[in-house]
Amino acid sequence: MEMTRRWPVVLAAVVAAFAIMVGLLVGAVPFKDGARDWFAPLAKGGWMAWTFPTALFFLTIFFLMSLMAVWEYASPGGNPRVGILRFETTRGDRLFVSLLGSAFIHLAWLGLIGPNLWWALALSVVYAIGVFRFV
Amino acid sequence: MEKTWNNKAWFMVLPVLLLVAFSAVVPLMTVVNYSVQDTFGNNQFFWAGTDWFDEILHSERFHAALGRNLVFSFIILAIEVPLGIIIALNMPRKGWGVPVCLVLMALPLLIPWNVVGTIWQVFGRVDIGLLGRTLANLGINYNYVQNPMHAWFTVIIMDIWHWTSLVVLLCYAGLVSIPDAFYQAAKIDGASRWAVFRYIQLPKMNRVLLIAVLLRFMDSFMIYTEPFVVTGGGPGNSTTFLSIDLVKMAVGQFDLGPAAAMSIIYFLIILLLSWVFYTVMTNYDAER
Repeated sequence: MEMTRRWPVVLAAVVAAFAIMVGLLVGAVPFKDGARDWFAPLAKGGWMAWTFPTALFFLTIFFLMSLMAVWEYASPGGNPRVGILRFETTRGDRLFVSLLGSAFIHLAWLGLIGPNLWWALALSVVYAIGVFRFV
Repeated sequence: MEKTWNNKAWFMVLPVLLLVAFSAVVPLMTVVNYSVQDTFGNNQFFWAGTDWFDEILHSERFHAALGRNLVFSFIILAIEVPLGIIIALNMPRKGWGVPVCLVLMALPLLIPWNVVGTIWQVFGRVDIGLLGRTLANLGINYNYVQNPMHAWFTVIIMDIWHWTSLVVLLCYAGLVSIPDAFYQAAKIDGASRWAVFRYIQLPKMNRVLLIAVLLRFMDSFMIYTEPFVVTGGGPGNSTTFLSIDLVKMAVGQFDLGPAAAMSIIYFLIILLLSWVFYTVMTNYDAER
């Protein structure tokens, strides 16, 4: 499928927006004893109980979805194909499978191994790459 | 070449996106925020990390409620889907019987869920209920308040009474859409009743059956009101399904953190199972 030429501009705009949002988020983290308290509530009065880690989590999810939108803009059609699961998937399906699988990888790691989830995150990234490559 | 793809059409989805954002995404985000914190009320929160998830994943209570819910969903799907198909196949296709059957089938669906629970709670009572009293007179020692098996029996029969009509109506809609020419061709070929069902009716009902199975699975996996009204989750915890347990934890005990963690795990399980159902059935349909 023909690539839309302006997609690098859109991609740069999305990445810049994400960077600005992360910057604003970091700026909103309250201080405690002269240092940033990364796990403290972000909003006074506890509105929606936001914290930096949860806000960054959702921001990353929205960033991933925005990247998918840019990809779709650059190469429309969703790139449907039949992979190792032997049924047709589009890019959106592959992102869904990656995110859902990652959630279960984290839960399984937490339940079976322990609360340090950085390796679970690494495993999820490998899994997502595998899904986008082979599914 | 004619342009067949226009990405600007995605902007048409924006109003729905906004609506879903307020009705689903914002509450979901709040639940995620709650799941990693502890609160004692007054909108004061303390970071708890993954503690609540750890607690729920290792909780016997959660495992038991999940097991009960899976068994319940399996039983009602195994009964309601075949029963719905059988009833739909035997419903009249023309004449005065059609509206009568359709109205009768639609009636249980129109009754509010808590009223259904109340009806069955009274119906099953040994002292004044028609079912309970009749069984007692037949010498059967039926008591859904004290016996877990009887409680399960009551809840399952109630769900079948309430929801089989949905499967019936969906299957019936699939059946009436089959043109007469199919049946005539089958008659000329000398097809048996089973062959007509297997090769004409079932494939035509496939799509509506997918919807029926998905709806019934999701609904039964989220069941709350009816068993709560009839048994209150008892006797003991024998009919405490996930949603009943969740409400007990969130509202009864005000353990918002563990309840939020449980909600997310519950949501992920529903998402996974629904995706598997949907994928398997749509691909089966596509292969055909």
